[in-house]
Amino acid sequence: MSARDRKKTPTGGVEVPRSVPDRFIVAPKTLRFDRFMNSAIMFGGIGVIVAVFGIFGFILLEIAPLFESPGIKAERTVSLNALDGAHVGLDEWGEMPFSIVDETEVVFVPTAGGEAVRMIPDVGQSRAVSLRRWDADTFRLLLGTENGEVGFVEVGHVAEYSGGGVRSIEPEIDVWPWVKLGEGRVTDVHFADAGGLKLFAGLLNSGDETRLVVRSLTQEKTLMGFGDIREGEAKDLSVLLAGSRPKRLLVTSTADSLLVLTQDDEVLYLFRDGDDWELRQKFRPFGEGYRVAGMHFLFGEVSLVFFDELGNIRIHSLFVPEGGHERLFGLTKELRPLKEPILEYRASQRGKSFVVSNEREAALCYATTELVRRRFDLSFDAVSMTLDARGERLGFLDKQGDLHLFDIHDPHPEAGWKSLFARVWYEGYPGPRYIWQSTGGTDDFEPKLSLIPLILGSLKGTFYAMLFAVPIALLAAIYTSQFLKPEVKRIVKPSMEIMASLPSVVLGFLGALWLAPLIDDKVPSLMLSILAVPLAAALMGWVWGHVPISLRNRLPKGSEYLLVAPVIGCLVLAGWNLGPSLERWLFVATLADGSHVADFRLWWPEFTGLPYDQRNCLVVGFMMGFAVIPVIFTIAEDALSNVPPSLTSASEALGASRWQVVRTVVLPVASAGIFSALMIGFGRAVGETMIVVMATGNTPLMDASGHLLFGEWGLGNGQFPLADHWNVFDGMRTLSANIAVELPEAAQGSTHYRTLFLGALVLFVMTFALNTVAELLRQRLRERFQIT
Amino acid sequence: MSESGVQLSGKNLRTKGEIKVWLTAAGLAVGLMMIAGLLLLITVNGLRVFWPDRVMEYTIREADGREVKMSGIPLRDPPRRSAIPGSVPDDFQVFTGNKDVYRLGFRYFQTDSVIKVEEPKGLRMAERLEYGRALFYPVKLKLEAGTEVPASAEGFDARVRELIREARGRWDQIHEIEKTDIGGINRAMRELELRRRPLSAREGQEVEIANIDSEIAALQARFEALAEEMNQLRERQTKDRLSYRLSSGEEREQSVGDLVYYFAPNEIGWFGQLGVFLHRGWEFLSEEPREANMEGGVFPAIFGTFVMTILMAFLVTPFGIIAAIYLREYARQGLLVRTVRICVNNLAGVPSIVFGVFGLGFFVYGVGGFIDGGVQYPMAAPWWMATCLLAIATIVGAMYLATSNRIALVRDPLKKRVLRKIEGGAWVLSVLSLIIVIARCPYFDGFFTRSLPAPTFGTGGILWASLTLALMTLPVVIVATEEALVAVPRGVREAALACGASKWQMIQRVVLPGALPGVMTGIILAMARGAGEVAPLMITGVVKLAPSLPVDFTAPFVHAERKFMHLGFHIYDLGFQSPDSEGAKPMVFATTLLLILLVVALNLFAIHVRTRLRQRFQAAAF
Repeated sequence: MSARDRKKTPTGGVEVPRSVPDRFIVAPKTLRFDRFMNSAIMFGGIGVIVAVFGIFGFILLEIAPLFESPGIKAERTVSLNALDGAHVGLDEWGEMPFSIVDETEVVFVPTAGGEAVRMIPDVGQSRAVSLRRWDADTFRLLLGTENGEVGFVEVGHVAEYSGGGVRSIEPEIDVWPWVKLGEGRVTDVHFADAGGLKLFAGLLNSGDETRLVVRSLTQEKTLMGFGDIREGEAKDLSVLLAGSRPKRLLVTSTADSLLVLTQDDEVLYLFRDGDDWELRQKFRPFGEGYRVAGMHFLFGEVSLVFFDELGNIRIHSLFVPEGGHERLFGLTKELRPLKEPILEYRASQRGKSFVVSNEREAALCYATTELVRRRFDLSFDAVSMTLDARGERLGFLDKQGDLHLFDIHDPHPEAGWKSLFARVWYEGYPGPRYIWQSTGGTDDFEPKLSLIPLILGSLKGTFYAMLFAVPIALLAAIYTSQFLKPEVKRIVKPSMEIMASLPSVVLGFLGALWLAPLIDDKVPSLMLSILAVPLAAALMGWVWGHVPISLRNRLPKGSEYLLVAPVIGCLVLAGWNLGPSLERWLFVATLADGSHVADFRLWWPEFTGLPYDQRNCLVVGFMMGFAVIPVIFTIAEDALSNVPPSLTSASEALGASRWQVVRTVVLPVASAGIFSALMIGFGRAVGETMIVVMATGNTPLMDASGHLLFGEWGLGNGQFPLADHWNVFDGMRTLSANIAVELPEAAQGSTHYRTLFLGALVLFVMTFALNTVAELLRQRLRERFQIT
Repeated sequence: MSESGVQLSGKNLRTKGEIKVWLTAAGLAVGLMMIAGLLLLITVNGLRVFWPDRVMEYTIREADGREVKMSGIPLRDPPRRSAIPGSVPDDFQVFTGNKDVYRLGFRYFQTDSVIKVEEPKGLRMAERLEYGRALFYPVKLKLEAGTEVPASAEGFDARVRELIREARGRWDQIHEIEKTDIGGINRAMRELELRRRPLSAREGQEVEIANIDSEIAALQARFEALAEEMNQLRERQTKDRLSYRLSSGEEREQSVGDLVYYFAPNEIGWFGQLGVFLHRGWEFLSEEPREANMEGGVFPAIFGTFVMTILMAFLVTPFGIIAAIYLREYARQGLLVRTVRICVNNLAGVPSIVFGVFGLGFFVYGVGGFIDGGVQYPMAAPWWMATCLLAIATIVGAMYLATSNRIALVRDPLKKRVLRKIEGGAWVLSVLSLIIVIARCPYFDGFFTRSLPAPTFGTGGILWASLTLALMTLPVVIVATEEALVAVPRGVREAALACGASKWQMIQRVVLPGALPGVMTGIILAMARGAGEVAPLMITGVVKLAPSLPVDFTAPFVHAERKFMHLGFHIYDLGFQSPDSEGAKPMVFATTLLLILLVVALNLFAIHVRTRLRQRFQAAAF
């Protein structure tokens, strides 16, 4: 037709001088619209796809700060005009630094400029002060005199908010009245304020003998606040020292532990029990021949940070050692040493961060992860250092009396590769562990953010779900694709697919409130019932083989499932009812009073030493089966159905029985497709959330032994070599459940929040990778057999 | 197929591996039994909730030897076995109602302590606004007028029902006043307060403030009048009182205004039972929940699920279809598009909670925070202006390049390719600069700054939840649409092109209509998936009890920022967060049945559409 048109001469030829009649020229409007739609759909489509993958990018952006190294930036220099030997301090907001040399004067200088404030503490009549010790954690200048008296000057800040939310910081100082410890020259003193009980501990030197004396003060707590202070008797604890010469003291703020560093570089750990003190432990922080240069508390006072004269840093923490029954100090961490001896130490009052410094360099460290997070050189000679309580502002006093302020930007010190994926020795534990415990009851709680227990929890749940789902799904897929009549298949397949659409919250609810109580005391029954299914099938197959062929031929091929269903039903029912008998026969537990009881729930912990929970992996596995079976079934069935009929026909022509065809031809050909079905099923199970949230106890796997990956063989009473973390009759917490449970409570931007995002990313990557491999396999399979 | 597998050589005619065939049959049988059993379990338990069972009266011997009578409905669960046999006797569960007396609605009776069980006559069951159902023998009615009607009087039950109907009418009035009138006044007052707040800080606004104050005072007066009216109605509700006796003999009194319905469970026939069943079923579907969601209905949850799903479908459809058309019709089918297709396909397998996490981080905190509080890191004004100009220039340029006929007629392939590259660059640049223009605008301080720090959009809400689910179901729609597009026969397309249609005309007039059923299938499947999903909603805006519906009759009618209730979350919350999970179980089963019905119906519909589609194309493939 067009060929004929072209022969005609152009009639109008307005725009296009071609031999095309007008009615075949596309209207400009159409052309323009077509072009526009071309572009719009191109960029709309690409935009949608990019936006979808933006999810990945956004989550990456959210977790990136977890792995950032801290930023330390010089902020400003304030002239304090401090004298030689002065100590500096910073308030919580880093706005009002002060310097203190002795008990005569404290000078506050606002960083924002303005008049310096001088305050003179009222320490009463002048005394012969023999000792001045600056306690940087509490801002106390501890004082001791030649004749055995102790006291201190305390520096503080009070924030006042005026209308409009303007904050002004008022400095204040407080003087503690002198307390007499005994006769002799005070060489060291420390003070603890535990509310109703306060404690002075001091070293009194007279001649060549140094005595350790404590004196407690009690203060009644009444409705009106604190009442009068009553001084207790001074107590001489020198006996406990057993001849060692004390050098330095540390008292915990609970006033019940006392740490004494001796001249021989040993540390004595004294513990108060009521009014009596006992020596708990004597240890050397560094080996023989090393001098201990510093002994300090870490925030929480469960760990001690020591450094020697060479710049080495070691952390000793309190924990109950294996086989022991009381908490003792043990070496848990050793940090990379500084180049030169450490002079100053300041701990954050919010977390386990601390800063150590000498004249020319400083290092920001984080105790939990045993890392020096940032080391930096100083361009001046630092004589004193201070860190604000939040650990965000650092100040160094140089020899000229100027204060150099630095901002520390380290919002996520507790994160990082090590704490997220490696074993960490947490405070209070006898060894390194993988633990997830993101929030705790107290301020000095050490967050434990190992993702390993959650990842293993996900794998555990998935493992049991797959154990249950794979046989059923694959067998059903083989039967449906190979033996079932096509007209029945058209009904069966969608029915199984309906199963995939069951909301997981429904499955979780049924698992937790229906199945868990149902099988709680019926585990033996359940075991027999599960056993009954293959038994019923085998029995039916065997019996059917012995039935006369005339009878056999009456059953249309492909209806076996209808015949086997009632048999399964009967045998399962029989197994269910026989359960109690099996329990009485095999699972007899011995109670504490020596009597015997047939109860699986008691027998299991007794026999294996592993716990038994009502909401356990059996329940989760069964309920997740509902979610996983249809996924595996559909994909495997597709793969099996797509095996070219030429192959099966050839095999049948050679005389193979129908099972032989399946085993030797269909299964090998479809194996890649079946494998991809398993992987997609695995991906579905790994990410399943609601079922796990509801049907397990949601307790993260606890790394009790430090061998989380494989569990410790022969736990409990050692009779049963079973990995404790793979206990079937126990719950777990999965990555997905963890996100669902904890994300609503996590503060936006906090380490916890970002760690949960990381958990989501792990899930994303895991499932995405699994699905991609599965999809590629399927495509390979398709190409191999040219199936469309 | 099977004949050739029979081995004819042996004595008995047995085929090899037949047992294994039976094993596979068992696999299918178990799978089908599982799904059937589950559906049956939910259906039976879900429907049983509304069926009025006969009430029994138990005579129990208490631990101290006394004999006590209690009425209740035995539950068919098997007796509970204690962990250590003998330590605690076996017991069975009975629904006793009367939560105000017994503290719990359920009770476990020890099997060996039950002396006598009988079916009593004259027992009545009443559903109440508080404390759930009551089981009792009525004694008398004390009316407002002071008269008393004894239970033995003729037409006593009818009288009670009449009074309940009247009381229900008054409750409706009270609700109307509370929701519409007082709700409106509250909103107006809040609005005035917000207007007043910035004024009081400024000078010379006394007149304005006085105006607002007088308006507030007027509203306050109206509020008080309404409150008074409501109080009178409430007062009236407590006037008629029903006194009754429990099985144990204890006499109690109850105002008729607190009753919801009233019937004689042991005396009504089958049709009566059916009536109660339907009544309760309707109440479940149409009422709001009461008593920590454990009684009443689930209407807000149904409504929330519905609105959320519809909103999601509206959001996902255009994007899904555009992406699919691009991938199938426009993109050059090469390695890149194949990779993208696999990735999109795989996104459907990414756990829903991951999308929830993204929704919380991006939509709620990111976009929501932006709408509430404005730009966090504003750009310097001149730079922003420059970006604005760039955005406008690139958009205009891209539009010109996209639509100009002159460029469409360029024949030189090299020139064409360069022009196409330029156009692509312009589009990308325009999108990027637009994002920067919006996200870093120095003049935008947020729409809800004055109510900060209380977030408006910066917290979970139905819009964010729908967007999150839309993102989650996008792959489903894309894949389904692509499949539908592929299924449109080549012949039809070629015919359209041969008739002179442009590419877009071909897609619009021929391909899309042909693919429509497939696209519909995808959308319905996406809706089914979205409706049943809970995990991402838990972190993006679902709540156990929402004070108001996301769509109502107050302007602006659709409240996209509101939190909402959802059937799936209702199940989770009732089953796991409620203080009395045993007592909540019936409600959970009923809700579960409803959700399953919804999801299965959507799925069946999708399957039906798909089958119809296949048949149509089979017929069309000539």
